[in-house]
Amino acid sequence: MVEKAVEETFAALFALTDLRQIFRDTKPTYQFNSEQKRQIKEIIEKVKKSLDLIEKELIK
Amino acid sequence: MKQMIEEVEVRAREELFININPIQAAGRLTPEAMKAIMAYGDGYSTCDWCRKPFRLDKIQRPPISDFHIELAKFVGMDQVRVVPGARRGFQAVVSSLVEKGDSVIVSALAHYTEFLAVEGAEGIVKEVPLNEENVVTGEETAQKIEEVKKKTGKLPKLIILDHFDYMLGNEHDIHGTAKVAKDYDIPFLANCAYSLGVMPINGREIGADFLVGSGHKSFASPAPSGILATTDEWADKVFRTTQMVGDVTGRKFGIKEVELLGCTLMGANLIAMMASFPRVRERVKHWNDELEKINYFVDEFLKIEGNNVLSEMPRKHTLTKVDTTGSFDKVARTHKRRGFFFSDEMKKRWIVGEFVGATRQWKLNTYGLTWDQTKHLAQAFQDIAKKYGITVA
Repeated sequence: MVEKAVEETFAALFALTDLRQIFRDTKPTYQFNSEQKRQIKEIIEKVKKSLDLIEKELIK
Repeated sequence: MKQMIEEVEVRAREELFININPIQAAGRLTPEAMKAIMAYGDGYSTCDWCRKPFRLDKIQRPPISDFHIELAKFVGMDQVRVVPGARRGFQAVVSSLVEKGDSVIVSALAHYTEFLAVEGAEGIVKEVPLNEENVVTGEETAQKIEEVKKKTGKLPKLIILDHFDYMLGNEHDIHGTAKVAKDYDIPFLANCAYSLGVMPINGREIGADFLVGSGHKSFASPAPSGILATTDEWADKVFRTTQMVGDVTGRKFGIKEVELLGCTLMGANLIAMMASFPRVRERVKHWNDELEKINYFVDEFLKIEGNNVLSEMPRKHTLTKVDTTGSFDKVARTHKRRGFFFSDEMKKRWIVGEFVGATRQWKLNTYGLTWDQTKHLAQAFQDIAKKYGITVA
């Protein structure tokens, strides 16, 4: 099911793009508020999950 | 910063620095637009489901056709096309209306691409001078029309006025000029490259026959991208379709629009514009917040002895021309790094985008900065001033 791996590749890239936006919003001091901290955690979890799924699909 | 490909570094200045470059501020992408570029970066990516009648603005998947309809509503005009930059919008209109030797009224602060568009059509630009506040008014425009009429025996073929100019970011009398254009029955093009996409703009309310916007200047879109909107009255002329028939093959390309050379933004640029559109539609409602921030910044900036603002005050736009001849330039005169000392100091404080090495008259733009970033910026100017013994009130 490479289709799933492709889908997760985009999901991870999009999540990292959201992280990129957080950098843009908080530069140059990067003082994250609680909502931003929550978002960062969520993004990291999402990317990890996507990478796990990609690994599972491609390198069994 | 790592190289993306050989000799091309990753551009991360928007993630690492406060960027006050005067022309880059409102063209910064939304995250949605960044995602769109990733997914639609391949050449003719918008053409996967292009079906009859085979024209970009008719494509329904992705919903490009709907976007055109919504965009026309957003700008308060009847019809709209996306174009590769505002300049291509000027070119399409001028090329449709102006013939050799015709006069075109432009502002004394007109963007250079308006000149080029007129020159391309072999027309002649006639500039409306600025008043004492560095603003173009309807009255001055009427005087210029009379002057042209007297000298050439003919009325100008078109009036183009920049809503906000590129040099000072001053607001020009777009409504008054539209009224004058109506009085003389001369078509009027409102150049809203610095306003459409950051503040509410309605072409119908302005009284414009043509409205031009810039995607990469003010619509959170990649370059080149732009908007050309018009009324039903003018659409048939500017968006006229080809009548040409091949003499050998008999081929014709019926629905393709001559001035646009057929399809325009065939890929990521258009999808990125579409992706940014919801946020753009929302952000124009918060223009007053942006004005609050730039006016806070200039207030703080003017506390530095010798600093001056050359743009109209209070600020009606975030693009602002400043003069630091009486402050930072005095330091530059004896500093071993000359004017570059100022850029060095800014960079140390994670700020870029000023004209590197310039310490006299230069431009900046605070659009899109958060309050924290705006305050950081103002503080940085004052800290640099204090470091070099310049008085801060």
